[in-house]
Amino acid sequence: MSGWGWGQLAFVGAVTVVGASLLGKYLAATFRGGKAPGDRVFLPIERAVYRVTRIDPDSSQRWSSYALAVLAFGLVSTLFLYLVLRFQGHLPGNPTHAPGMSPLLSFDTAASFITGTNWQAYSGETQASYLAQMAGLVVAQFTAAAVGLAVALAIVRGIGGSARTVGNFWADLTHGLVRVFVPLSIIGALVLVGQGAVQNFHGFSTATTLAGGTQHIPGGPVASMEVIKLLGTNGGSFYGVGGAHPFENPTGFANMFDLLLVIVLPFAIALMFGRLIGRPRQGRAIVAVMAILFVGHTLVSMQAEAHGNHLLPASVSQVASAQNPGGNMEGKETRFGPDGSALMTVGTMGTTAGATDSALDSYTPVGGAGAFVGIILGEVSPGGDGGGLYSILVFALLAVFVAGLMVGRTPEFLGKKIRAPQMKLVVAYVLAIPIIILVFGSISLVVAPGTRAILNPGMHGLSEVTYAFASVTLNNGSAFAGLSANAPYYNTLLTLAMLAGRFVPIVLGLAIAGSLAGARVHARTRATLDTSGPTFVVFLLGVIVVVGGLIYLPMLILGPIGERIVG
Amino acid sequence: MRRYLSTSLVMLLGLTVVLGLGYPALVAGLAALGLGHQADGSLVYRDGKLVGSQLLGQSFTDSNGNPLPRYFQPRPSAAGSGYDASSSGATNLGPSNALLVGFVPGVNTVGLDGSPSKTNPFATPADPACVPTDPKGNPVTSPSRGQKYAKNPDGSYVCDPNTVPERAIAYRQLNGLAPTAPVPVDAVTASGSGLDPGISVANALDQAPRVAQARHLPTDQVVALVHRYTAGRQWGFLGEPTVNVLELNLALDRLS
Repeated sequence: MSGWGWGQLAFVGAVTVVGASLLGKYLAATFRGGKAPGDRVFLPIERAVYRVTRIDPDSSQRWSSYALAVLAFGLVSTLFLYLVLRFQGHLPGNPTHAPGMSPLLSFDTAASFITGTNWQAYSGETQASYLAQMAGLVVAQFTAAAVGLAVALAIVRGIGGSARTVGNFWADLTHGLVRVFVPLSIIGALVLVGQGAVQNFHGFSTATTLAGGTQHIPGGPVASMEVIKLLGTNGGSFYGVGGAHPFENPTGFANMFDLLLVIVLPFAIALMFGRLIGRPRQGRAIVAVMAILFVGHTLVSMQAEAHGNHLLPASVSQVASAQNPGGNMEGKETRFGPDGSALMTVGTMGTTAGATDSALDSYTPVGGAGAFVGIILGEVSPGGDGGGLYSILVFALLAVFVAGLMVGRTPEFLGKKIRAPQMKLVVAYVLAIPIIILVFGSISLVVAPGTRAILNPGMHGLSEVTYAFASVTLNNGSAFAGLSANAPYYNTLLTLAMLAGRFVPIVLGLAIAGSLAGARVHARTRATLDTSGPTFVVFLLGVIVVVGGLIYLPMLILGPIGERIVG
Repeated sequence: MRRYLSTSLVMLLGLTVVLGLGYPALVAGLAALGLGHQADGSLVYRDGKLVGSQLLGQSFTDSNGNPLPRYFQPRPSAAGSGYDASSSGATNLGPSNALLVGFVPGVNTVGLDGSPSKTNPFATPADPACVPTDPKGNPVTSPSRGQKYAKNPDGSYVCDPNTVPERAIAYRQLNGLAPTAPVPVDAVTASGSGLDPGISVANALDQAPRVAQARHLPTDQVVALVHRYTAGRQWGFLGEPTVNVLELNLALDRLS
C-alpha cells in the first residue's frame, strides 16, 4: 500500500472523527425531546405531516405496538413498491422504455429496497424506469434508513431510559426524515453534481465517437439517488455497476466523499446514544469498538489489493510508481487505483450499504475476505444507520453476560440487571442470522439451480454463493457479481433471507428493549462492571470476533483462505 | 393493526410525492444554477456535434474492432462489446480464473482430457499460459475428449485473446515494445464500469511513440500533450493521476 493510500485512510479517519462528533451532538439535541436546533424551519413541516396523517406524536408506544407499526409500514411499503416495479412499463416517467419487471423480480427488488439491502438482480440502465427509481426505489431508501434510526432510538430508550414505553414510531420516522436525511441529502447531492455526477431527466443521448462509432450516453436523476443510497446505508445504485460508474462516482474526492456519507452517520448515532443516556463515555466506547473493526478489515483488503494478483505474468507491472497505480486493477477504475477502491468498497462492508466502486468478484482472495469479514462480524463496523448501534448493543449485552459468568455476578448493563428472559432473546438474536446464511447457503451448494448460477469454478464459486447469502441476510446487498442471481431459485431464497434478516432482529431487538424498559436502575458500586472503559472495549471486540467469526470459519477456510493457499 | 396500515399508506403516499418527485426535481433545479454542464453528463461537442462525455471512455477501433494506431487506446472494457454506455459492467472474473490469468501451471491447468494437470499442454512459444479456443473462437477451459481446437498454420494452438498474458503480447506488438518489456497493469485489465475514461501515465507514455509515428508528429510533442491532459491527484492526495483518453485524442485531432 502506497503512502497515498495511508493518506486517504488518515483523511477519512480525521473527517469521520470531526463529522461524527458534530453530528452526534446534533442528533442528541434533536431526539432528546423538547427544544431542538432548527425548530423554526422543521417544526412547521412536522406539524403538517402530523395533521395529514392524524398522528399524535406525544403518545408513546409500548415495544409491541412500536414493532407492529414497523411491520405494518414495511408491509405497505413493500406492496406499493412491488406494484410500481411490476407496472413501470405502463406508468409515465419512462424515457428509456423499461418494461415492467417480472413478478418474482419485482418482489425481490421491492423486498430488497424496503429492507435496506439493495441487492440488485436487475440492471438500472435498462430495467428500471426513471419514475420507478425516483418515486419507488429512492423513497424506499429514505424510509429504510429512517426506520433503522427509529428502531435504534426505541431500543436506546428501552435499554437506557426509565419509562415503560419506547417512543412513537411515526414521530421518530418523521423526525429522522425531516431533520436528518432530507437536508443532508440535498447538500450531498449538490456536492456530487459538482464533481460530475449527473442529475437530469432525459434518456440516452446518442454520440458519434471520434472513431466513427455510436455511443448511447445515459442520463437520469442519479445524484439524488446516489446520496441517499450512501447516507441511508442502502447501497442500491442508479446504474448497474454502482459506484464504479463515472456518472455516479466521477473523481477521487467523490470516492472518499461517498465513503464518508456512509460511515459518518452510524458513528454519530453511536455517539448520540451515549449522550441520550447521559453517559457520553459509553458512546465513545462503542465507537472505539466499531472503529477498530473498521480499520482492521479495511486495511487487510487495501494491503492485499495494492499487492496485486500474483498469478499475472511477472512482466505485467503491478508495483505502484509515480506513473502507475499498480496493484490488482482487474475490475477497478484508474482514477481510484487499488488503494482508493479497496478503501471505499471494503470500508462500506461493515455497514449495510455494501456500496462498491470496484468488482468484488475480481478481488484477490485476501482482499475479498476482508469484505466478507466486514459483513459476517454482524455489520457493526460501524453498521447501518441505527442497525449498527442496536446490533452492537445486543453484542454488549452478551458480553456483560459472559463477563458476569466469569466473575460470578448478576450481569448489569447501564445499571439494569440482565436476566434469563433478556438472555434468551439475545441468544435468539445472535443465532438467527448465521442459521439463515448457513442453511440457505448449504442447500444452494447441493441443488442444481443453486450451482448452475456460479460463474467462477472451484473455491471462488463457493465464496460467490456464501457471500450472496451473508450479504442479503445482513442487508448489505453487495455481491460477488459472477453469480447469476436473477433466476427463480435465487430470487426466492434471497428474498426470504433478506426479509428475515431485517425484521427478525428488529422485533427481537425491540423485545429486548421492551423487557428492560422501566426496569429498576441500580446505583453504581465498586463491584459494578465498567462497560465504558478500555477493558470492556477489548472484551466486546473479543465477543464479536469469537461469536461472529467462529461460526463462519469453515466457510472461510473452504472459500477465500483455501483459494489463497492453493493459488 | 388496521389503523397502523392506513397510517402507513397515507404516510407512504405523502412521502412518495415529496421525496419521490419533489426532492429529485429540487436537486435538478438547484444543479441547473451553475452546475448544468456536470448535471447533463459533462458532454463534449465538436463542430456542434455530440462526440461523447468527458467522464466516459469510448472505443478507438476500426469497424473490425482493431485499435486505430493514431489514437491513444483506453483500457480493455467489459461493457457490452466494449465501452457500451448502455450496459456498464465488469468481467467479474475471479483472480485465478483461466479466462483472466490464463492457464498457470500448478494452479488451474488441465490436461487434454480436462483432468487437473501439472503443466499446460496448450502452451505456445509466445504464451506459456495459452487458453485454447474452439473453431468458433470461444475459449475452452474444461476440455473433454474429442474437443476440436483452432490451430495456427504452424500447428500451435490459437489462444483466447482476452487473457492478461495475451493482452500483454498484443499491447507490446501494437506499441513496438520488446517481448519482455514491462506492461502497465491497467493496460491489460478491464475496469469496474467498463467505461473508465482514464489510463495511467505509464500506459499513455508507452503508447506515445506509436501515436506520434502514425500521425507524423515528433514524439516530444505527443509526450508534452500527454502531460497536459494528465489530471493529478485531487487535492494532491485523493485518487490516482490519470490521463483522459478522449480529451487527449481530441487535442491530437486538433493538431493534425
